[in-house]
Amino acid sequence: MSEAAANPIDRAEETDDGNRPGQKLALYYFSAAMVLFAAQILFGLIIGLQYLYPDLLYNVLDFSVARMVHINAMIVWLLMGFIGCIYWLVEDEAGRDLVGAKLAFVNFWILTGAVAVVVAVYLFVQIGPGELRSIWLINEGREYIEAPRWADIGIVVCVLIFFYNVAATFTKGRWSGISGVLVLDLIALAALYLAGMYFTPNISVDQHWWWWVVHLWVEATWEVLVGCIMAWGLIRTLGANRRIVTTWLYIEVAMMFGSGILGLGHHYFWIGTPEYWLTIGGFFSALEPIPLVAMVVHAVYDAGRHGFKSSNHPALAWLIAHAFGNFFGAGVWGFMHTLPQINLYTHGTQWTASHGHLAFFGAYATIVIAIIYLAIQKARGDVWMSGALPGNGFAWKWSLALLNIGVLGMTVALLISGYEQSFVERALEGSTWSAYFEAQQTPWFVQGMQWRMVFGWITAAGLALLLWDLATIGRRETRPVQVLNPVPA
Amino acid sequence: MPEAMSLQDMFVGTLAGAAIVVMGAFYALFYALAKMHRHRVAHATALASYAGLVVATYFLVDALKLHGIWLWVAAVMVAGYFLAPRAIWQLCVGTHEESAT
Amino acid sequence: MSQPWWSSEAMWRKCAIWVTAVMVVVLMGLTFDTVRQITAGGERVPGYDVINKKIFYEYDADRGYQVPRIGEDAPLFGQTLTAADAEALVEKGKLTTQAKNCMNCHTLLGNGSYFAPDLTKSWLDPAWINEGLREELMLNFLQDPMNNARTFGTGRRMPDLNITDEEARAVVAFLKWMSSIDTNGFPRGFTPLKQED
Repeated sequence: MSEAAANPIDRAEETDDGNRPGQKLALYYFSAAMVLFAAQILFGLIIGLQYLYPDLLYNVLDFSVARMVHINAMIVWLLMGFIGCIYWLVEDEAGRDLVGAKLAFVNFWILTGAVAVVVAVYLFVQIGPGELRSIWLINEGREYIEAPRWADIGIVVCVLIFFYNVAATFTKGRWSGISGVLVLDLIALAALYLAGMYFTPNISVDQHWWWWVVHLWVEATWEVLVGCIMAWGLIRTLGANRRIVTTWLYIEVAMMFGSGILGLGHHYFWIGTPEYWLTIGGFFSALEPIPLVAMVVHAVYDAGRHGFKSSNHPALAWLIAHAFGNFFGAGVWGFMHTLPQINLYTHGTQWTASHGHLAFFGAYATIVIAIIYLAIQKARGDVWMSGALPGNGFAWKWSLALLNIGVLGMTVALLISGYEQSFVERALEGSTWSAYFEAQQTPWFVQGMQWRMVFGWITAAGLALLLWDLATIGRRETRPVQVLNPVPA
Repeated sequence: MPEAMSLQDMFVGTLAGAAIVVMGAFYALFYALAKMHRHRVAHATALASYAGLVVATYFLVDALKLHGIWLWVAAVMVAGYFLAPRAIWQLCVGTHEESAT
Repeated sequence: MSQPWWSSEAMWRKCAIWVTAVMVVVLMGLTFDTVRQITAGGERVPGYDVINKKIFYEYDADRGYQVPRIGEDAPLFGQTLTAADAEALVEKGKLTTQAKNCMNCHTLLGNGSYFAPDLTKSWLDPAWINEGLREELMLNFLQDPMNNARTFGTGRRMPDLNITDEEARAVVAFLKWMSSIDTNGFPRGFTPLKQED
């Protein structure tokens, strides 16, 4: 049962050659995730253009439809990326091949097929009559969780199968602290989705539970999931000491859930919920960046003791991008507008869009991309991915730079537009429809939208380069992976 | 309760919010560097960053006209930013204890 | 083990479990109270038959901002509905806003997308000129937005969403009911339609 605690896992014999069934399946999930990432950016470009040219695709592919695909593609590609990461690590962590591999492959194709059908219906049916069957068959009309009810149920079934694969593999193999946290977190993640699966005419009640899914995913369970993936990654790629990493995973869980669960309060300021949420939300929001800031200390400590050595430079670079993106996107951009005194002006403006872009990219997109680089290195035969790559590694370096500059630029541009919007619409003009439209036409707002578009194209260029790099990196490499001196713990 | 805010206060308020988190991170960074390398300049920079955080909090309180329970929230926040990096440092040392010997 | 107790793996495992458990319990307690307060007919969210009444905005000196108030009879489309009929109508309206994907252009209670104006207080918006014209203008807008949309010179028109007369009336009922929700002063400084007393 728990020889895991005695930790012979870490220096496990290298059966881990990228050819295990779970690892093969992970590559399928990563490929699907990248296709959806491309869809996210494509539809993002369309809606960005619609701000500047409102007649573009009017009554053909309206903003509402393209925006729904933009945000749904993001949610699903990140989830598929996470699932891929977990299939990638489960065999290594459990010390045996995936249990129920055949079922897992079938599950992948069902899930992918369902996603394709949902997107096709979004694009070609778009809307339905005001009847229950519309939200069962077409779309549910609730931001981020628009998927129609049939797909909701399908997603739950697919997630249960995934859960079975993972839990059974650990049970037949071995458990560890990391896998324990991972499995409990997956249960919470799946259970929370159920909170988003019912209809009520009461919009306050609707949004109250809707935030359980959206907030408790993004600001609690997803964070812990990433923590588990990181923990495994640190042990596997840097040879970090398992006991220390597991302890820190527990510390992170305590901090994330300690501040994140009641941090839910900062979404309950203005939706009809009681006034005490202003204080609770304000308090926990004020504390939320502190763990993030404190982690800086840990990074310095580790760097000082071990140095940043890595046999996979692109992955390490994306992990560093993750640290900065998470800090600025979630920490700085989050706290700037989270206190109710300010949020009263900024809630429901481009401020939220600004924060959303940097936070999702910085906290989640970066980490999935980093793990994909690790997986590809293995899958291409454990090849060299350190310095001195062909062409000096220009593709991964430029795609990293373009994607980060693009997203950061969009974030700043949207912040300027958002600031102008909250200024004119809320503070000056009285929050009416005419105030809204007046704000949309101010020069600062319009220029912000134009710059957002410029940086949107830069992001798209970065993505194209990233996909090309992922498809080609290491294919012609003959050097084996760089052997690092074992790191003292 | 949130009260009406002037335009200038809104600008100061958001900027002060951003400055608090950034200064908090600088403080943590230089505090850790000072501990790691026993560096005087880093230590002074850490303290200066923390002073910046306190000043930014003052501007935030002033711009948002915080009063009553909100002043306590601000106080807990300022204390938290001071203590958390120190606590994390102790934890780093503590968790690495066994293997360091 | 030379490790201090406060940095041991076992201590932090317990700590993670306890912190999470305590937070979940606190959240549960708050959730029960919140759901009670936001149930339609509760303290902060009026019952659906509020659509039979006049809804207006009034400055509340204690709270420091405007709050919705419920006044004399002012039945929607001139028809007083029973509580059950009112609920059915608002339900149809809410369902229509979901089926037409309103939230991916508009915000409702400030949540959604930012391509079109917030709908929280749209029932009280001065765009409807006065209370006498409001219902008809809203119905026209919803059913034929290409010709009746108010874009205030931006060119950002609502698309044609095939909204029927029945659906449009239901959406108006939903919007009227939503404007009566106590949103703690959001949206900030809202200037309502001129009220005829």
